[in-house]
Amino acid sequence: MASGVFGYAALSTRARAMYADLLTPHDMSRLSDAPDLPALVGMLKNTPYGKYLSGLKDNELTSRRVILQIRNRLAASYASVVQQAPEQTRPLIRQLFRYFEVGNLKAVLRSIQTVSSWTSDVAPWDRVREVLFPFGTFSSIPAQAMVESGSIVSAVELLRGTPYETIMSFAMKRYSAEQNLFPLEVALDLDFWRRLWSEVKRLSGKDREMGARLIGSLLDLNNLMWVIRYKIYHKLSEEELINYTLPFGYRVRDEDVRAIAAGADIASVVSRIYPSLPNVASLLEYPIAGLPQLEHLLKQQVMRQCVSTFIGDPFHIGLPLAYLLLSDFEIQDLVVLIEAKSSKLREDEFRPLLLKTKLMQ
Amino acid sequence: MLFPKQMSEVELIVPAKDLVAVTRALSGYGVFHQVDSAYLGVENAGPNTWQEKAAIYSALERRIQSVFQAVGLAEEYPAGADIESLVDLEAVIPGVDRIEADVKAVTDRLSEEKKRLELLESQLRQLEPIAEVDVEVGALQRSEFMHSILGIVPAANVSRLRTSLLRVPHVFFILRPDAQKPVVWILGQKSNFDILERAAKSAYLNPLSLPEEFSGTPEQITARLRHEIDSSMGRIAAYESELAKMGVTYKSELQKLLWDVHNSRVMADAIIRFGQLRHTYVVVGWVPTAELGDLTTRLKHASREILIETMATDRAGHHSNVPVALTESKWLKPIQMLVGQYGHPSYGELDPTLLMAFTFPILYGAMFGDLGQGLVLFVLGLLVYNKIILKKGGEGVRTLSLLIAYCGAFAAIFGYLYGSIFGFEGHLIEEYLGFHFEPVFSPMENILSALSLAIDAGIVILLFSFLLSMINNIRARDWAHLLFGHAGITAFLFYLCFLALAFGGLLGTTALAPKIAVALYSLPLPFNILALVFGILVMFGGFLRNMVEGHELIEGKGFGGFAMFIIQSGMDLFETVISMFSNTLSFIRVGAFAVAHGGLSLAVFSIATLGGEKPGIGFWVAILIGNGIIILLEGLIVYIQTMRLHYYEILGKFFHGGGMQFEPLTLGTSRKDT
Repeated sequence: MASGVFGYAALSTRARAMYADLLTPHDMSRLSDAPDLPALVGMLKNTPYGKYLSGLKDNELTSRRVILQIRNRLAASYASVVQQAPEQTRPLIRQLFRYFEVGNLKAVLRSIQTVSSWTSDVAPWDRVREVLFPFGTFSSIPAQAMVESGSIVSAVELLRGTPYETIMSFAMKRYSAEQNLFPLEVALDLDFWRRLWSEVKRLSGKDREMGARLIGSLLDLNNLMWVIRYKIYHKLSEEELINYTLPFGYRVRDEDVRAIAAGADIASVVSRIYPSLPNVASLLEYPIAGLPQLEHLLKQQVMRQCVSTFIGDPFHIGLPLAYLLLSDFEIQDLVVLIEAKSSKLREDEFRPLLLKTKLMQ
Repeated sequence: MLFPKQMSEVELIVPAKDLVAVTRALSGYGVFHQVDSAYLGVENAGPNTWQEKAAIYSALERRIQSVFQAVGLAEEYPAGADIESLVDLEAVIPGVDRIEADVKAVTDRLSEEKKRLELLESQLRQLEPIAEVDVEVGALQRSEFMHSILGIVPAANVSRLRTSLLRVPHVFFILRPDAQKPVVWILGQKSNFDILERAAKSAYLNPLSLPEEFSGTPEQITARLRHEIDSSMGRIAAYESELAKMGVTYKSELQKLLWDVHNSRVMADAIIRFGQLRHTYVVVGWVPTAELGDLTTRLKHASREILIETMATDRAGHHSNVPVALTESKWLKPIQMLVGQYGHPSYGELDPTLLMAFTFPILYGAMFGDLGQGLVLFVLGLLVYNKIILKKGGEGVRTLSLLIAYCGAFAAIFGYLYGSIFGFEGHLIEEYLGFHFEPVFSPMENILSALSLAIDAGIVILLFSFLLSMINNIRARDWAHLLFGHAGITAFLFYLCFLALAFGGLLGTTALAPKIAVALYSLPLPFNILALVFGILVMFGGFLRNMVEGHELIEGKGFGGFAMFIIQSGMDLFETVISMFSNTLSFIRVGAFAVAHGGLSLAVFSIATLGGEKPGIGFWVAILIGNGIIILLEGLIVYIQTMRLHYYEILGKFFHGGGMQFEPLTLGTSRKDT
């Protein structure tokens, strides 16, 4: 406890202060009322995101550019938490931050595969950099050189010396045979979550408990959605489903994943894990519309888990972790809003996609 | 020193013919912070070839860097090189092509040979686990009823692979355990061939690829593989030596190419952010006003037709777009590091570095007052700073060591005042160290006075912080916050009334009472009425600020109407009173730690004398260990407390941060070299 107090006094205070700076459901509702993208950006400039949007010129007001700018806030939060976190918890935060690097890596690989179909005069790298998370100096992947290398094989060779080298060396054998990015992306995902989970297991005491609760909940969400999607959309076999999922988490057990893989009724398994989720069976009846809704509900479960972390003993890694996850969810909401305003979607089309609703208060 | 450097906005109209010379003048001096002004250009002003050029320079620079890496040279620039102009691509590309082709011919062969060696070694490793098996490897593949898979799988996937095979009968062997790439062998019925293959494939199992030319038993194959590996290693050594020779041959040419291309790339990157007009370019940026004269001369030297417009930027108002250049001083670097952790000063506000340079070591010293221990910290800090010890410590360690030296120096000064040397105080000094040392003020013997003095010091610092906040507001011409801000005039006057009533009146008769508050209370002023008046002003501060600024008077009045506004204002006042109380009392820790230091030293002394009153070797060892623990543990805690006092009680009053850092264009050389 004493070490917790010493280690977390400053960080917990900072996490609480940053938590207070997150947008409220009321703010989100106000932002939703913005008539168009410039108005939304104008309103965002009066929020803590203002600092990241102030340099944006009118002619740069594209949804991609705005999203890139607001993501800088999350990057800054990670950098700040990593800097202040106690030594033993830093690998966990760094690994969690790598989630965005894995996303960047996937985006780079996808761009290499599709670059030949681009007709624009803009250089491929200039197009790709706009969709990448602003990882800054933390990044270990040579993204620009990869995009410019022009082929998946050459790009993956540039990953030598990075944390992705080993797993990609295995996955590339399958890519060479199948010429499909699916095995590469699955391998990256599995590797990321395994490493993250092992970092959680390296912690002790309250840190480990809170890490397992928050990271485990996030892992549950992903694991469950993977197995359901692979089963319904990709029609994968039982052994493939098992190999493409993970046997750990907070609520979702290996038995649950294996039951779905073996053909058990998905709705009853999900309802058993999350008894409070409403209408799971009807959601899964029409998967194309229902699965995104199920994912939405599961994300809200994780958000509730994060919010509840701010009640009680603050001297553990839970607070900063919860803040970072909530901040990420908030940015996901803002991305929805920005895209919606940019595409001039009607309110009833985008509002249901927002995670931060009054229910979350 | 007290404020960030005065900045001037510079707008240049540069004739196209002088573009490069002007860019060189802007980039080479390290004083120009460029602002992207491409949007100021007109559309259809002609093809903008600079984007393309910048991309080519960038790609060329990376190619040269790759060659440096391939030949094993460190990336260095030629000695005494000067920046002439943008290098002509047609002149350098053939050179880069030639060297790259020469080097690539060898590196390709080297890389191929390395791949072959890797394959051979992998095959050898794969065979090692079955080296003892006296069967032909090919026979396993040709079985009629059994399906066999031999291969390498990611270690993390082994357990999942096993689980995925549970529904079919099989045997699973880990032939060679490895932390990352174990070799596994799966054997199952031929009828389950598809399940076994799908499971292996989805677990990313890479089947062993033994070359057909290596037939026979594992032992025979292993012997042949070892021979091949030896030959391959010989070839690799030869290629590497050839590359090293190329490094020597091409060194100076590569350095020159890198220098030219790097600087050209920096300048081209700068140019693409200029606004392109028909025959001219618009350049916008910021320069420290003190450097403006020199820069103007250089620019006029670079182009006689250049138009230069400069605007010194007033500190009034909000300038989130003005980059902030702070005064550089190696002696203030540790304090700038502390300030930087809180925030980068914005353009209009006071840079708290100088204030903290005084208050931080003083507060630290007051809490950790010990002549001996302070000197230990001081010397230790200087030794690390001068790289006499911890030579491999980076710049961060050096900066921290300088801070430790400052804190140590003040701890020693306060130790002298407290009469404390390595925990020995009063008669103990005479008894054990053999000389007389009279304290000026001993916290241990005047505990309540020490605490009261600490609160007094806190009050002075807080009042000073209020004044600094007001100065900031005056300079920013932010009259609303000057009058009604949380550290504005009304809040300041309310704080004075609060001090007089709470600390001078209520606590006035106790030994804890701070002298300043008592003196205030003794003034013939109606503090009750004044507190009420200023309290109401503080309570409705938000309303009054909105009134001065001409904003909507009651923010969010839709939520609960006027009643909610009154409740919120009441809560604001309550919060202000609580924070004034806690901010003031917070400084009591300075006195408390000064006392605790004496107490901790006494505890060490008591432990040391457990072996008897007469000081033997055990006594001095205990004193030594005890002092070590005090320096490490208490030194750290006091550091945290000092930081806390500054971040929460002092800086929060007048410092907001959030400024943009000054990042000037710089070529690969220093200003002096240029």
